[in-house]
Amino acid sequence: MSEEKQIRLDRMRYTKNSLASTLAIAAILFDVFYFISIYESNVGSWYYNILMGASILYNLIFMLAAFLSSEGIKNYKIPYAYVLVVLGVIQIIRIFIYPVRAHSSSVTIQDQAVIVMETAQFVRCVLYLLLSAICLIASAVVGYIRSRALKQHLETLNIQSA
Amino acid sequence: MAHLDIQHIDKIYDNNVQAVYDFNLDVQDGELIVLVGPSGCGKSTSLRMIAGLEDISAGHVFLDDKEITQTPAKDRDMAMVFQNYALYGHMTIYENMAFSLTLRKENPNVIHKKVLAAAEILGLTSQLNKKPAQLSGGQRQRVAMGRSIVRNPKVFLFDEPLSNLDAKLRGATRREILLLHKRLKATMLYVTHDQTEALTLADRIVCMSMGHVQQVGTPLELYDAPRNHFVASFIGLPPMNFFDVTVRENKLEGKGFTLALSEEDKKILSAYAGKEIELGVRPENVLKGDDLKLNVFSNENLGMNTLVNGHIGDGNRISAKLRGWFDYHEGDDVGVTFAQKHFFDKETGDAIGRRINA
Repeated sequence: MSEEKQIRLDRMRYTKNSLASTLAIAAILFDVFYFISIYESNVGSWYYNILMGASILYNLIFMLAAFLSSEGIKNYKIPYAYVLVVLGVIQIIRIFIYPVRAHSSSVTIQDQAVIVMETAQFVRCVLYLLLSAICLIASAVVGYIRSRALKQHLETLNIQSA
Repeated sequence: MAHLDIQHIDKIYDNNVQAVYDFNLDVQDGELIVLVGPSGCGKSTSLRMIAGLEDISAGHVFLDDKEITQTPAKDRDMAMVFQNYALYGHMTIYENMAFSLTLRKENPNVIHKKVLAAAEILGLTSQLNKKPAQLSGGQRQRVAMGRSIVRNPKVFLFDEPLSNLDAKLRGATRREILLLHKRLKATMLYVTHDQTEALTLADRIVCMSMGHVQQVGTPLELYDAPRNHFVASFIGLPPMNFFDVTVRENKLEGKGFTLALSEEDKKILSAYAGKEIELGVRPENVLKGDDLKLNVFSNENLGMNTLVNGHIGDGNRISAKLRGWFDYHEGDDVGVTFAQKHFFDKETGDAIGRRINA
């Protein structure tokens, strides 16, 4: 390993994994954009059911979990990488829960069929969820790779000092 | 490393108060200069002018023969360590030490090397992941020094760095600063009001009072050959004893006591025959003997020495630091003699005979 790489690795002993952490925070931001976008839909009473309550609750849980994971991954804790992957996968699944269903549904208002989620809004919501998922998975990958590398480096140092 | 030349600098504030008068100093490469004096004597102001944190009202400052009088503080290649550490509480020790270099957008790998090297010198390697609040005062001060070291400045400036520490820690940190100076061979300016720090650390001491430089010299010069009454009274603990005496042909005549003059003293005082002068004697130069009677009023055992306070003649207060353990009581008479005497002009306060060039 080149000296440059060795130093970069050693630096991780004293610096936070800010890239992984920032990606996780960005994922929260994109999720906020998503739920702002979806809640601006106000077509009939299509959204007025228990699923909306669950969605609101999940958003709160998601933000808390993603934030705690961002702090965990910032400190090179590998388990948080798995949490971030799970959250990322759920974000992809969420595309099919609201945006896809709302885009393909219509309600009748004054004898006219109106699509619940117009294409523009649909694209926006899908994009935000996708970006959020990508950020989460990227954060997990970066976090995992760096945490593993640091772990191995520390083990090497321990062996050398023993 | 650097050669710092300070020429005739004055500091006059907007309200016309002058804090520093005609400050001159030539600091050689690798020298540790201590500015010492009582509070308000202008030592910190002088240091801040050198650092570029205060405007210089008159005079010039040269660093390696390049004038820096008007150069902004950030471009002077000097690092300052403050009394209150000035560390960022939300950052780790590593981040604190690396901060100035990060701001300069230096290569992170280079920063890493420098921080680890500085931490190694200061014994902070195991503390690098901690926050300042988790460290002791001495360790925090070491971090503040580390932050200066990583910058590899031409001159280190210390503004009373040990004042916030307790006595024991102050001693330990003082020794660390001395070791650091020897290791880095750096040019350092150090401000303190503590004469013990000045005497133990300095290659040369600048003693200041009321904005004026009173004397510049090695610690021994200031202790052994003070230029005037102020330096004599400020340097040394307990302070020097002073007596008003009149110079007679073969003796000194004080209030209720007389002292025989040696041939050397007679020569020194030849121009002062019949005049009143001040006689100065350090407590450690008061020895047991037969010349005078010291009437005791307090006795403090310091271990290997005993500090005896009392008076000689007609109520002339005197402190004597006698070698050994004694148990004198109030009213006891102790025979003493003065091993080394200092003479000062009564009017000017200047030393007579022993003056050295500042």
